[in-house]
Amino acid sequence: MQEVKYIRDDWRQTCLDALAGEGYVVLGPMRDGEKVRFRPCTTGSDLVLDQVNSDYPLKEAFLPKTERLLAYTFGPGGEPAMTPPEVATQKLAVLGCRPCDAAALVGLDRVFNWDYEDAFYNQRRRESLILSVGCSTSDDRCFCTSLGLAPDASEGSDLLIQPLPDGGARVTVVSDKGRAFAAAHADVFGPSSTGSPPTVADVPVRLDIEMIKPWLDAHFADDLWEDISLQCLGCGACSYQCPTCHCFDMVDETHWQQGERRRNHDCCSFSLFTRHTSGHNPRPTPASRWRNRLMHKFRYFVERFDRRACVGCGRCMRVCGAGLSLIEILKTVAARPAEKPVQEVTA
Amino acid sequence: MSDTHTEIQSGVRAVAARLLSEGRVKTVLGYALGALNETVPCFIKRAEDTKRLVWNARCFHNLATYLPREHMKKHFPMAVVVKGCDRRAVNMLLKESMITRENVVLVGVPCGGMGEPLLHKCLYCEVRKPEDVDEAIPGEPAPIETPREGRFDSVTKLEQLEPDALWEQWKGHVERCIRCYACRQACPLCYCKRCIAEKTQPQWIESSPHLRGNFAWNVVRAFHLFGRCVGCGECERVCPAGIPLGEINSKLAKTVRERFVNYQAGMDAVTPSPFTTYDLGIDNDEGIL
Repeated sequence: MQEVKYIRDDWRQTCLDALAGEGYVVLGPMRDGEKVRFRPCTTGSDLVLDQVNSDYPLKEAFLPKTERLLAYTFGPGGEPAMTPPEVATQKLAVLGCRPCDAAALVGLDRVFNWDYEDAFYNQRRRESLILSVGCSTSDDRCFCTSLGLAPDASEGSDLLIQPLPDGGARVTVVSDKGRAFAAAHADVFGPSSTGSPPTVADVPVRLDIEMIKPWLDAHFADDLWEDISLQCLGCGACSYQCPTCHCFDMVDETHWQQGERRRNHDCCSFSLFTRHTSGHNPRPTPASRWRNRLMHKFRYFVERFDRRACVGCGRCMRVCGAGLSLIEILKTVAARPAEKPVQEVTA
Repeated sequence: MSDTHTEIQSGVRAVAARLLSEGRVKTVLGYALGALNETVPCFIKRAEDTKRLVWNARCFHNLATYLPREHMKKHFPMAVVVKGCDRRAVNMLLKESMITRENVVLVGVPCGGMGEPLLHKCLYCEVRKPEDVDEAIPGEPAPIETPREGRFDSVTKLEQLEPDALWEQWKGHVERCIRCYACRQACPLCYCKRCIAEKTQPQWIESSPHLRGNFAWNVVRAFHLFGRCVGCGECERVCPAGIPLGEINSKLAKTVRERFVNYQAGMDAVTPSPFTTYDLGIDNDEGIL
C-alpha cells in the first residue's frame, strides 16, 4: 500500500517553493506561443494543467531535441584541441507532467543504460524528481488504459499529485526519493485527508494490446504495411512528439577553425534514416518504414526491455497532418488472426 | 452538412464509382471520415467502397501532395478530388513536369471554403470552381463576399515592424521548430527526391534544431517556394510547433504579385514561373525570368 499525503492549498506554488528551496530547477507545462511544453517555472499559476496533455512531450527535458556533446578547435598549426563534454549539473524537477509521460521515462531509462550508459541523459535523470499530476480529463485519443497504464498510474513518478475539489491535493508517495522529499517538507505534505476523492478521468480500454505482438511476430511481410503507409505524409511529427521515441543522430558542425558535435532527435519515418552512403536503402518505401515504426514499439522493444515503447498519450494522432490513427491501426492488427494462414503450394 | 455538401458528395461518389468500374483509373484519392469523425485522405480501389467518400467543410488536405511520390506510381492512373487551391498545385506539378496529365483524372469540386469559420485563404479564394478538370462535379458553392481589401493586412503589419522587433517575434516561433519536416511533407511543391536539408557535401542547412539551423531551414523553405507556393496553407495546418508559416507564404505571394505583374502561382499550367524559368529569348542578361 502506497503512503498517501495531503497538501492543504495552492499545491502548485507550495510544491514549486519546496523544490526551489532544495536547489531544483523546476520544469512544468508552460505556454510557448500557442503550444504547451516543459519550461522552467517559478510561478504556480503559470503551469498549464487545463489542457489534456502538453503538446510537447516530457522527454525533451532529459533528451533535448539538440545538445552539444563536445567542442573542438584547430590551432594555428592545425593541431586539434577538444573541449571535454559539458554534462549538465543542474538538479531537475518536473512538476505537472501526466502519468503517461512519467511512465515513458522508465522506457528511456532502459535504453540509455542498456549497452551503453549515456552520461548526458543519466546526469539529468539521476538527480531528477518527478512530480506528476493525475488526469481528471482526457480526450478521444488518450488510450493509456489500453497499455496497462491509467490516468492515475504512478510508474515513473516519485510523487503522484491529484488535485482535490477543495483546492488541495492528494499525494501518493511512489519512490524512495519521493518519500525523502515529502519527509523533508512535512509542513507541505501533511497527513492524508479523508475529504472527497480526486476526480480520475475515464479512459476506456480501446483494444486488446496482448493481440498485437503475436500478429507482428508472424507478419513481417504483409499488405497491411502498404495499406497504412499510403495515407502517411512521411514527416517526423509523430515520433518527435512521442514521449518514448528516442532515436538520435549525431552531427559535426564546423565553422572555420572550430566546431561542435551535437546529438539531435531523429526519426525512422525519414528515408534518410536508413539510407547508406552507397545509395542503397534497406527501408526503401514508406511501407517498410511504417512497419519498422510499429515493430519497434510493439515487438522489438518488448523483446529487449520487456515493455512497450508506447504509453498511450495520443500525441502522434493529435499532430498527424494526414489524420492517421495509431488506435485504429492497432485495432486492425488486434482483429486479425495471429497465425499466418497456411498457403497452398501450387506446382 | 449543408445541402450543397450532400449534393457534391453524391456527385463525387458517382463519378468515383464510374471511373473505377469502367477501369478508367486504378485508384481514387479522396476524402473519408476517420474513426473520430474527422475528415482524412483516403485511397479507394473498388467501386463498392466509393460510398466511403465524403465532402464537407473539413476537407482541408491538399491531395495533390501525394501525386509526385515514387510509391504512388503503381496506383496510377489515379483519380484525385481537387478543390480550387489543389487544382492550382496540380498546375504547378504539370508545369514542373512532376506528373503527366494522362496519369491523373482530376475530379474538380466546387468549394465554398474550408473551416468554420472559413480559413483566411478561403476568404480570398479566386478559384472556387476548378477549371480544366476531367470530371467537374456540379453544384454551386455558397457565395463568399470576397473582400478585395485586407488580404495582405497582416503582412503589411510585419513589414512595418522594426527589424529588431521582427527578429524577436520570429525568434520565438522558430525556436519551437523540431525539424519534423511536416511542412515539407505536406507541401505539394516540396517534392525534391533529395531535399537541400538532407545534403551534407556541402551542408547548406544545419540539421540541428537550434535557432541557427531552424532559421536556415525555414528561410530556405520559403525561398524555394517563391513564385511556386499556391497558398494552400497545408504547411501551417500540419506544423506541430504552431509556427505561423502562412505569414511567410503571404509575404511571398504579395512580393511576387508586386514584382511580376500580378503573377499568382498555379493559375494555369503554361505561364512561365518567375525564377524557375530559363529562356535565352528573355531580354535580360541572365535569361532568367
